[in-house]
Amino acid sequence: MRNFDILLMGLKNLFRRKTRTILTVLGVVIGTASIVVMVSLGMGMNESFEAQLKQMGNLNIINVTTYRNDPDSSGGPQKEIVLDDAAITKISKIEGIKGITPVIESSMKLISGKYMAYVQVMGIDVKSMPNFDYPIAEGRLLQEGDSDKIVVGGNIPQYFYNPKSRYGSVDGQPAVNVLTDKIEATFDMSYGEKQQQQGLGGSDTSDKAPKLYKLKAVGVLDITNDWQKDQYIFMDYLNLKKLMKDAAKAQNGQSQSSMMFDTNSIGKSFDRLMVMVDKIKDVDRIQSEIDDLGYGTNSLADMRKSMQKQSQTIQLVLGAIGAISLIISALGITNTMIMSIYERTREIGVMKVLGCKMGNIRHLFLLEAGIIGLLGGCIGVILSYLASFALNTIGKSFMNSESGGMLSMGMGMGMGDAESRISVIPIWLALTSIAFAIFIGLVSGFSPARRAMKLSALEAIKSE
Amino acid sequence: MGSLIELKGVRKVYRVGNEKVVALQNIDLTIQKGEICCLLGTSGSGKSTLLNLLAGLEKPSRGEIIIKDIHIEKLNEQRLVLFRQKYIGFVFQSYNLLPGLTALENVGLPLAFKGIPRRLRDKKSQQMLNAVGLTSHNNRKPSQMSGGQQQRVGIARAFVGNPQIIFADEPTGNLDSKTTIDVMNLITGMARRNSQTLIIVTHDISIANYADKVIHILDGNIEKVVTQTPSSNLPAEKII
Repeated sequence: MRNFDILLMGLKNLFRRKTRTILTVLGVVIGTASIVVMVSLGMGMNESFEAQLKQMGNLNIINVTTYRNDPDSSGGPQKEIVLDDAAITKISKIEGIKGITPVIESSMKLISGKYMAYVQVMGIDVKSMPNFDYPIAEGRLLQEGDSDKIVVGGNIPQYFYNPKSRYGSVDGQPAVNVLTDKIEATFDMSYGEKQQQQGLGGSDTSDKAPKLYKLKAVGVLDITNDWQKDQYIFMDYLNLKKLMKDAAKAQNGQSQSSMMFDTNSIGKSFDRLMVMVDKIKDVDRIQSEIDDLGYGTNSLADMRKSMQKQSQTIQLVLGAIGAISLIISALGITNTMIMSIYERTREIGVMKVLGCKMGNIRHLFLLEAGIIGLLGGCIGVILSYLASFALNTIGKSFMNSESGGMLSMGMGMGMGDAESRISVIPIWLALTSIAFAIFIGLVSGFSPARRAMKLSALEAIKSE
Repeated sequence: MGSLIELKGVRKVYRVGNEKVVALQNIDLTIQKGEICCLLGTSGSGKSTLLNLLAGLEKPSRGEIIIKDIHIEKLNEQRLVLFRQKYIGFVFQSYNLLPGLTALENVGLPLAFKGIPRRLRDKKSQQMLNAVGLTSHNNRKPSQMSGGQQQRVGIARAFVGNPQIIFADEPTGNLDSKTTIDVMNLITGMARRNSQTLIIVTHDISIANYADKVIHILDGNIEKVVTQTPSSNLPAEKII
């Protein structure tokens, strides 16, 4: 019997029992849709995890810190770890490291004409800056000898505002062109506001004017959604240290300090080290090697791992819930096929007597079960796309009302729609689930098909 | 000329619970090519069992069944299917048309099982339907036809592959007397024209009149074999 004839016959048989076929297909539709939607929720969660991770920083970077999370010595006083040049030499011997830099962090206020901006400053080793994947948008990265130069993160130009104006420069062009305009910096966070206070109250003591340091911006970074890049300005760590010491000296003796750092901590140790790993697969190994040297470490890989584990668990649970309904629909298919055989015992017998090969009969029944699976799978996937669309639409408005305002302000325009998707159905998931539905159909049709094949032709034609 | 069908010492015993029921005692029989044979007997005589054995639907408990020099009692089920496909046509008492298929498709079924493409199949089936006098019933489903019409479709289906042997199991059992005559004339006429061997199983003595050879079966044995001149062997077309 030709394959096409078998196909035609199978379709006719299914069509003959429309209601039953539709009900069975419906079972598969629900099964498939529930599995796809459940998995898609997990995928959506994964996607938002990944997006969150991206915002948190580079996955290849290991931070070496002065504190350790030692489970053994909990409670007791922690031994202080000093991160100095010796530590850098020691760590940089580990294989697979692309770059290493000391990090000193502080806060500053930038002043350019009548505009000001609060910024985070990261003092790094200018020589290794190119190793850390800083994406330059305009100008250049720092290089050796750039002691009073800075590179600013992508969001920094938007931070400048005019304290005298009621409205900030939220919309449109940034007020300051950081590359061309003159920029000064101070550690005194209340700079600029004092004048106002003076004007109002006039009760100010004869403060020395806070010291201003001239800085020259040589580059602006691209917006990356990584806050450690977007929301910092970068300068030579030696210069930053010098400025901080200087500011501390100038401030000495003053009772009321509005500076952001503890003057005593300058000098001994770096705040942390950043290690750039060449290949992401080495991150684990290098991190544990640095750990073994006695330093504290953390990296996003830790968080990524725990997030992945978490989302895997959730996906598994969701998938299992979906799988249950698909299994039930498999029972439905088996039941339908068995019923169909009982109903068609005579037909099968007649076909056998008329010379239909046993294999053809088996194929016919498998095909019918497979078609039920295929139909159910296809409709189920279409239904899941609709459900996913609905979820995302409802979810988006929900999430926007919740935190959208804050997000869009904080993250800039780099935020796409991708972050707010609750349910994601990649094409492979759609295809796999259709294939799976067919597979379920075939498996549930297998035993009935065998049974049909084994039916004695004689028994079949005898039954009156 | 050797005989087409030869049975030697065939015995068939059914086991019903702990009891043995002997359906056929000891059958020796030969049927020549082109013969129209009638297996005549009352119900329970074993005539249907004999037909089932001949068609390879059951295996004898003992003895040999040789059709076209093939020992069909030794064939496995796969081969039996192929054997039936090639040499045998079947007409049933209750027509046994597939309810989901049209008349044309039902007739073409044995050809479809052989893997003949649809176009050729439809052409041949159409010819057969014309030959049984159902020119305009191509697209009717079995439920839309009378018993006589259904049996004609059944006959067309049995003859469409031009098999050498046609078995008819009480072909007129469900028909009225007028239609019975039509159907019997049709089936014997077609068999004679193509010199096909026709084996009819019946309990109706009047049906036996159409046969060249009447085999009387009683209690699992051949009582007697009567060779006769058939009472009616007019060409089918003239009768209808």
